[in-house]
Amino acid sequence: MKLDCAVITAAGRDQRDLPLQSLVDRDGQSRSALAILLREVQEAGIRRVGLIGHPGAEQRYLEAAAEFQDLIEFIPQAEANGYGQALYLARDFVGSSHFLHLVGDHLYVSDTSQGCARQLVDLAKTEDCSVSAVQSTREHQLGLYGAVGGQKVTGRERLYKVEVVREKPTPTLAEQELVVPGLRVAHYLCFFGMHVLSPGIMECLERELADREQPLSLSTALNHLVQQEQVLAAELAGSRHNIGMDYGLFYAQLALGLRGVHREEFLGGIVNLLAAVPGGRG
Amino acid sequence: MRLLELLTSDDPDIRNQDLASVCTTSSWDELLQACAALDQFRRVEDNLYLRVRCLFFLHAIYRYHLPEREELKREGRIPYASVLHLHKRRFEEAIEECLATQAEQGLSDPLASALAELYHQLAFQQLADQVRRSVRASRGNQWMFRLGHPLDQGLSLRPELLQASGKGLYPLLRERTPVRMDLSHSGWSDIFFLGMDYPEGARVINVSIDLALRGRDREPTAPVEAYLRVIDEPVLRLASVDLGVQADLSELRDVFDFAKDYLGLLKAAVIASGIVPPGLEGSGSSLQELLQRMVGPGKGLELVSRVNHIPKGSRLAVSTNLLASLIALCMRATRQTESLDGMLTEAERRIVASRAILGEWLGGSGGGWQDSGGVWPGIKLIEGCEAGEGDPEFGISKGRLLPRHRILDRDDVPDSSRQKLQESLILVHGGMAQNVGPILEMVTEKYLLRDAKAWEARQEALTLIDEILVALQEGDIRRLGEITTRNFEGPLQEIIPWASNRYTERLIAEMREAFAEEFWGFWMLGGMSGGGMGFMVAPGRREEACDFLQQHMQQAKEDLQHALPFAMDPVVYDFRINEKGSFCECLTGDTALMPVSYYAQMLPDWVRSDPRDLSAARRAELLRLAEKSRQGTEFASLVPTLFTQLLPQSDVSERASGLENLLKEIGFDSLQQEEVRQKLQSGKLGLARNRLPPTTRIEDVEPAGLPRSDALSPEAARRGAAALAAGEVAVITLAAGTGSRWTQGAGVVKGLHPFCRLGSRHRSFLELHVAKSRKTGLEHGCMPAHVFTTSYLTHDPIAETLKRTGNFGYAGPLHLSKGSVVGVRMIPMLRDLLFQWEELPQQLLNEQAQKMQESLRSALLGWARSAGEGGDYRDNLPAQCLHPVGHWFELPGLLRNGVLQTLLEERPQLQWLMLHNVDTTGASLDPALLGQHILSGNSLTFEVIPRRLADSGGGLARVEGRLQLLEGMALPREELDVELRYYNSMTTWIHLDSLLSLFGLTRSELGDSEKVAGAIRSLGAQLPTYITLKDVKKRWGHGQEDVFPVSQYEKLWSDMTRLPEANCGFIEVNRLRGQQLKDPAQLDSWVRDGSAAWVEALCEFGE
Repeated sequence: MKLDCAVITAAGRDQRDLPLQSLVDRDGQSRSALAILLREVQEAGIRRVGLIGHPGAEQRYLEAAAEFQDLIEFIPQAEANGYGQALYLARDFVGSSHFLHLVGDHLYVSDTSQGCARQLVDLAKTEDCSVSAVQSTREHQLGLYGAVGGQKVTGRERLYKVEVVREKPTPTLAEQELVVPGLRVAHYLCFFGMHVLSPGIMECLERELADREQPLSLSTALNHLVQQEQVLAAELAGSRHNIGMDYGLFYAQLALGLRGVHREEFLGGIVNLLAAVPGGRG
Repeated sequence: MRLLELLTSDDPDIRNQDLASVCTTSSWDELLQACAALDQFRRVEDNLYLRVRCLFFLHAIYRYHLPEREELKREGRIPYASVLHLHKRRFEEAIEECLATQAEQGLSDPLASALAELYHQLAFQQLADQVRRSVRASRGNQWMFRLGHPLDQGLSLRPELLQASGKGLYPLLRERTPVRMDLSHSGWSDIFFLGMDYPEGARVINVSIDLALRGRDREPTAPVEAYLRVIDEPVLRLASVDLGVQADLSELRDVFDFAKDYLGLLKAAVIASGIVPPGLEGSGSSLQELLQRMVGPGKGLELVSRVNHIPKGSRLAVSTNLLASLIALCMRATRQTESLDGMLTEAERRIVASRAILGEWLGGSGGGWQDSGGVWPGIKLIEGCEAGEGDPEFGISKGRLLPRHRILDRDDVPDSSRQKLQESLILVHGGMAQNVGPILEMVTEKYLLRDAKAWEARQEALTLIDEILVALQEGDIRRLGEITTRNFEGPLQEIIPWASNRYTERLIAEMREAFAEEFWGFWMLGGMSGGGMGFMVAPGRREEACDFLQQHMQQAKEDLQHALPFAMDPVVYDFRINEKGSFCECLTGDTALMPVSYYAQMLPDWVRSDPRDLSAARRAELLRLAEKSRQGTEFASLVPTLFTQLLPQSDVSERASGLENLLKEIGFDSLQQEEVRQKLQSGKLGLARNRLPPTTRIEDVEPAGLPRSDALSPEAARRGAAALAAGEVAVITLAAGTGSRWTQGAGVVKGLHPFCRLGSRHRSFLELHVAKSRKTGLEHGCMPAHVFTTSYLTHDPIAETLKRTGNFGYAGPLHLSKGSVVGVRMIPMLRDLLFQWEELPQQLLNEQAQKMQESLRSALLGWARSAGEGGDYRDNLPAQCLHPVGHWFELPGLLRNGVLQTLLEERPQLQWLMLHNVDTTGASLDPALLGQHILSGNSLTFEVIPRRLADSGGGLARVEGRLQLLEGMALPREELDVELRYYNSMTTWIHLDSLLSLFGLTRSELGDSEKVAGAIRSLGAQLPTYITLKDVKKRWGHGQEDVFPVSQYEKLWSDMTRLPEANCGFIEVNRLRGQQLKDPAQLDSWVRDGSAAWVEALCEFGE
């Protein structure tokens, strides 16, 4: 499988500035979220990144990418017209290759020495098919993510064959269609914001976009893809952090700090902070 | 064959064999051994339906097959501990107690009755538990039960509903849902239990229809509507436009309080749709926090229901479809459906249907699985389906809880057939309101026992449904009518004879006569006839038939309104098949207005409030409304309506004058009423004061001490026969009552109620009693005199019936004795309500029903407090505010009103009276019993029967060493109720002159009205006055009913045995003779245990 390019979407109205936010990464370096993401991608062996963003934001993104700006090919999305439409803009960029796809408002923190993107890319190459990274998520948060239903791959840990994909399902729908044997009660496999996708996804997006005025989700197109080719889902050794949510940036920083080179100092700071709070909300 | 084989055999011929056929060929010992084996089996068996069927077997053996045997001891005792367990619904413990007593003392008739009842109740509890488990375990519903905190709520509102228009109006979602009619339910096969055990036999043809009330509405529309929108107040606003009630809920506990107001259905929908998931009940969480999470800060939801004035009891499943409509709407609003508007997908309809079942369970009601059929479009074949792997029912029951719906397409039922059906069928609501619950229980029981006739009928019903499908395909409506009529007159009534009644049969007969060949057929909608019904006629005569039915239903209702429970005037519907099913529209901008009737209900409150308190959205709504009403649209009618609403005309004064007139007419004794009221309010009278002092020595009677009706001497029979032949005997039938248990307080004259088909047609209790007198007269050569005692409630209808029927063709003397003593019902005292609910043994209901009851009771306490304890109850129809004051007054009434004197003039030789209750169907002028009374020299001989579990309310006891009858209310300890082995049947043999002497009178003094009145007063003063609580129905709206407990006072006939100077005797008679029929649920077993046939043999209907 040829897999040397990635697509990052950052065109949504609410997420344009998120990649520009500054954090301290695991090495103790202050970097933009975009740079942290690009580093993750580069470490996964990716050489080209298509960054889909608002036309006016190109320069700011390039600056935020810092030392990784050479990787980037900027793909402008003039109108914020949905996730599916944004991704479809990268069809020429990815050509006939599989590609890694990440969302610009997430950061990933691996539990191992290998980054999350690296884990996913390696798995996709081994399995020679599309693989979506997923995370077991409690049902009350289903409304925030796309989710998959399917079966465990026999003899493999944390690897699933995807049978159905639903965008932001309700618990009602999830219970009917997305229950995966072996997961904890009331937990579902929700997207991690990271996928390796086959070029088939572009055909699915094209078909779906042909007669649609409403914004299109990736989940809808992926649901078509699973009907025509094998798609797996994998729980990676790591965690995702949506920096667009309330306190999302803060939690992402916490996760990075606790796994970073300045862990002791960081912990000490937190303890001091906690000790200084008089207690309770007031 | 061993009985267990009927349960466990793989051979359907064995499994489907009638239990009775095996029992009748078993010996006594074999039956007892079979009971032990069955009891063991049901304890270890995992399969629910084998277990339940086993329990029904046990019930039937103890109820019907063992009592038939000579070996069964007639007398015995039911352990009181088992009764206590029964009250708390601890059936297993109760059964243990009874079985231990059986092992110790042998089986007796009372013990068998207790075991029968306990197994019966345990069976139904296990079935209900399984439905509840299946609903909870359905995928899509489970999450709602584990959610315990608002932060865990995974639902949120669709963003488009939060976008207010420029004028501040939020979008309004409107769901319109048709109701359903069933062309056939294949013998009530839509009962959940049947569908789950016998899925291959569960088949229904169900049609979604729009309705219009003929003469009122322009054209048929989907009769059920539900509305939802966002409001800018953090509350859950619920409103029912039909019932005219609304409430703002701000506390979570109010959402789960179903009986607090009339909004239970809306609350059930909010819960079952997951907006306030059932898991949150009792969590202590905040509704506002939940609304904030789902809708946004400071915002709430409004949910409104409207059913276009379709009355209750229509048998069109209006309430289930309304519930489904509300649930579908709530699901749409919270993204649980793919599309906000339009039709639902099949998967969505299924989840709506499953949640409607959940909602019905929450609200304490329950329908069949086809009832939410209105959610689906057009004509459907709904069939049970076997549970497969992955279904929550798999391994538990054979079938799934939810059936499969196959929408019949144009190949199955072409457009032309649909059109023809609409051109021929007339849908009506006959106006009767009856509880269909007992019927469904009877069906379930007969099915599980494989009652041979019922099983055969069920198989026939299943073939008829195939014939219906063919007729529909071919558009042969005449044939369809012929099949549905055959279904009604054949299998349905074979399974449940009570599905029909005199009213329905009269209508069918009149239609047949008027339209002859062009009357194509009848069909019964839903569980029983009398409410929703269908008549099919040749298309050319449909209009004429509509008018005919309207007129004849009304006439029949007027003729029968005292005999059958009518809740409303009959109506004819126009209808149309609805091809969309439940359908939603999102109204935005200027169109986002509620229906006019909503505003008629809400506007008065809005107008009265300070304009500054109006929220922005409501202000916008009012402005838009004003604009609309100026434009002369339907909203223009709001202005006059508003005035009527703001200044309502009260009907209270009208009612009050009606009551006063009635009291005057009756000759009401207000002094007596005031005396009772004073004693009631001061605590001298009350439920607690009905009881004898706790120190009273009360002992049971040894059986050897009483004569038995089956061991009387030939001399007694000869003496009795001679008295009958000489015309020395009269029958006094007490017919003053309105059968409050029979029709749950609907005010029907019980004596006139045509309760059962006997000798080819439905007969009333009075007709039955006359038929027994006729037979006695024919056998002994002299028609006995017969008197019906009546009250203000029953006199005129009975007199009119006797006139119309020529005394039912009776050739002997027949008189009415009108009772003149009445009381005005009173608002109950709180202490009496609490005594009744907390001190007296109460049957604990199932979990949800118990919650409903507790909530209702708290509302009733509030009502009694605010209405004024001990005050007159006047807020109802005048006749419903009065009460007869106990059957003691009925016999003295004969003395006072001259009827006895008239009788004596006609029959000076009259010496003996037999007095009996109207519902003691077996009471007859048995010569041997009469002779026994004559030979005994007693003034009064009371007939008693060995007690069974259901015989609650006192009995024969030795009180301080003296034998007398004790009323249940007078018992100082509850356990005495089961310890007294004999129960009072109320049938009394009376020596006339001795009775008169008890009053201090002689025959010649009967003309002295003053002396007679004084004598009655004086004897009456020696008898206790009881305070009782009775349920009275108040009807309102379109067939809505409320039940209130009211206080009344009574003096009772059996207390004559307390008089030391009365020379009373007692005789034991068998149950066939002594059984009283108090509840329609008794009818089926009354037929099955041979009582009906026994009674029928005592009758000569003279036709």
